[in-house]
Amino acid sequence: MKTVAAESIDPKWAWEPWKPSEDSPWNRSAVYHLYRRVGFGISASAAQKAVDTGLEETLHQLFSTATNDEFETTTAAITKSVMAGGNLRQLSVGWLHRMLNTPTPLVEKLTLFWHGHFATGADKVNDIYAMQQQNETLRKHALGSFPSMVHEISKDPAMLIYLDSANNRKAHPNENYARELMELFCMGEGNYSEKDVQELARCFTGWEVRRLQFRFNRFQHDTGTKTLLGTADLESGEEAIDVVLKHSATPKFIIKKLYKFFIADEPNPSDELLEPLVTQFREDQLQIAPVVRRMLSSNLMLSDHCRNRKIRSPIEWMLGWMKSLDVSGNMQTLSEGLTQMGQSLYFPPNVKGWDGGRAWINSSTLVARANALHRLVNDGNTRYDKKSLGEFAKTAQIDKPDRWLNYLLETNLSASVPETQRDALLESVKSYTAEQALKEITCRVATWPQTHLA
Amino acid sequence: MNAVHPLLRRQFLERSLLAASGIGIGSAIAPKWLQGATWNAGDKSGRVLVVIQLSGGNDGLNTVIPIDDPEYKKRRPKLAIAKADAISIPQDLALHPSLKGVAGLLEAGRFMLVQGVGYPSPNRSHFESMDIWHSCTTKDKRGRTGWLGRWLDQQQAADKNQENQDSLAMHLGAEVQPFALTALDVQVPSLSSIEQFRFKVDTDPQTANSVAKMESVTGKSVNNDLLDFVASTTESAVTASDRIEKALKQSAAAGEFPDSQLGQKLQVIARLIKAGLQTSVYYVTLDGFDTHAQQPAAHAALLNQWSEALTAFVKYLESSGDLERTLVMTFSEFGRRVAENASDGTDHGAAAPMFFAGAKIDQPIVGKHPSLTDLDDGDLKHHTDFRSVYASVLEQWLKTPAEPTLGEEFASLKLFG
Repeated sequence: MKTVAAESIDPKWAWEPWKPSEDSPWNRSAVYHLYRRVGFGISASAAQKAVDTGLEETLHQLFSTATNDEFETTTAAITKSVMAGGNLRQLSVGWLHRMLNTPTPLVEKLTLFWHGHFATGADKVNDIYAMQQQNETLRKHALGSFPSMVHEISKDPAMLIYLDSANNRKAHPNENYARELMELFCMGEGNYSEKDVQELARCFTGWEVRRLQFRFNRFQHDTGTKTLLGTADLESGEEAIDVVLKHSATPKFIIKKLYKFFIADEPNPSDELLEPLVTQFREDQLQIAPVVRRMLSSNLMLSDHCRNRKIRSPIEWMLGWMKSLDVSGNMQTLSEGLTQMGQSLYFPPNVKGWDGGRAWINSSTLVARANALHRLVNDGNTRYDKKSLGEFAKTAQIDKPDRWLNYLLETNLSASVPETQRDALLESVKSYTAEQALKEITCRVATWPQTHLA
Repeated sequence: MNAVHPLLRRQFLERSLLAASGIGIGSAIAPKWLQGATWNAGDKSGRVLVVIQLSGGNDGLNTVIPIDDPEYKKRRPKLAIAKADAISIPQDLALHPSLKGVAGLLEAGRFMLVQGVGYPSPNRSHFESMDIWHSCTTKDKRGRTGWLGRWLDQQQAADKNQENQDSLAMHLGAEVQPFALTALDVQVPSLSSIEQFRFKVDTDPQTANSVAKMESVTGKSVNNDLLDFVASTTESAVTASDRIEKALKQSAAAGEFPDSQLGQKLQVIARLIKAGLQTSVYYVTLDGFDTHAQQPAAHAALLNQWSEALTAFVKYLESSGDLERTLVMTFSEFGRRVAENASDGTDHGAAAPMFFAGAKIDQPIVGKHPSLTDLDDGDLKHHTDFRSVYASVLEQWLKTPAEPTLGEEFASLKLFG
């Protein structure tokens, strides 16, 4: 795979804070881009407000970690009622509500990132409480300390059940968690040996889950000394985790994954490009917030190198549409649609999580995307900022199909669309009634290839 | 990065923009050869390969068992299958008790197992090992294509007149498309289910008109690989959706397939083969073989699902007369460790058997069972490289040279008549 050539992007320039200029102004396009990438999109009215309040205040709001009581109370009520129902498939309803309405967009986006990173599948864990607990753990650490998160996840009941590590006896250490901790959670494949896997597994013996609580069973712990990644005389699981966290591969692995999540699916970034971030992350003792904020407010983030370089995940795509149409929608239907599009919250495909990028797109998921939006728009209960679609358009002073098309393109599409493609669509809805045309245009744009990029 | 010829890429993009601009129920926007409501089956001489991937690492040792080897019971005091329960087959081997259907196929000369398959320096990561099986190379040498993808590219390049109207390959499943199918020029559709594979956006009488207009968009390359990719995938979705709907109308639902996930997927594939869809490769997966804990019940259920589905599939195609041209290959990314662990399970291992079903297989059992004492870090050693097995499939079944697909030369085994 090609890498961004070091000579084409100067790493120093890339990660300096972006300053608006004549060529690259602070405008609605920049606002939509930032909100699509850092959060889950933004309504047209909020986007104009962001332009007016300026870059600094907008970043402040995007990066905020200060939630508010009213939002937390509503969300807690939804989550509570879902938990009472006990249906694992409905657990996503509370989280989707959160993503759509959160006062802390980056926290929520990163919680989703960490869910894919420390992927744990509800079908195997089969306990709604354990899954919800894990989600709260990930949110708590989303912008916090990576080491703290890894230590807590390593004792997380849902995780240990998922990786068959609810029992781990010294006679036959289970290698599953030990392997994934190095391969998928911290270092990446190829940076450790099979012997390291076996030694790390010995460190974790005696780590158990009983009645959905972590427990250390000293009778099952192998107390002999172990050598891991060249560090001798290790004894406990905690010491071993620290060795993994201190390994030079760890900051590289995490920064690269964050880059691909936030900046570009492809090409793969060069080591030189990532080096300033890796150094910072290491020097910050793997604190997440500073390096992520630097990445997201950088020259590179706001440059053309970062536009249309991501395939939107089903959640980003669907919530982006909902934001631009200002609809709240039925979260249950939304959740079912997302499953068909290949992103079922709490049900990642395997312990590696969602691959992202091109893997989001295939014939079935494209059909599912188009059909989900079709269902939303043709659902009689759907309200657009509490109005019908016609009234919503009127409020936005849209009186003709072409202006509606422009509105959708501006609020929800990052890639440009050729004139002829626009004209063909407008031509085909000429005989439609006003409201029909609005719906048809919306559904058709949802099938355009450009709509899947951000 | 994108090796597609710029002209071809542009065509792709234009055509899919057309398609997308009026993504109807297929027919309104389908390419010319697709238009018309009638089913055009084409000839039924083409050979078909169906791949079943057992994801997670199938415990080969409890699938094909050296039942009289004392080491077997010794290494697996709790997990060993009792001789009385296992199904005896030749060469002092036995099959897992769940494999009754498969045992019947084997006796009827419709099933073949190839023992001791693997590759040098086995990798015990699911993902890396699966990628090795999919790409035929290790990470440092890996390109952007899978082995079947490279074969598909060659087939497409050879079909100069674009006579084949259907996707060369198809993946059935809701999971991410297996990397093995990734090609440079061929878009392989993935179907999660037939019901969900239908566009709901209304058909539009104006579409033909807009298609004509769109043809004037020539020449605007957007120079974005990701966009090209989404556009060509959109096109293949529209085309496949239409053809599959028509094909399935030709061959009625078959009640004898089990209700399991794999059973229903193989039912769809069997009907598409019978209808004469011009697709050469079908790919399905069955997940759950990563049995680190409580292995016996889970493994038995999975093997049963595989065996029942495969048996129904072979019977259906036998009676439709299509088994002569169909081969089913089953593999997993690795076997499991010889010794059991403390959670009534087994950890990641290395060599394991591969399986074939069809009418033209050479012999029931190929190769010796790997030794249970001469191990590599606790795992079975392979004696047959999986790429040699692939080479046999490519040369003897698909009748194409293996080397361009595998990237280097691997000696094939005599497997198919």
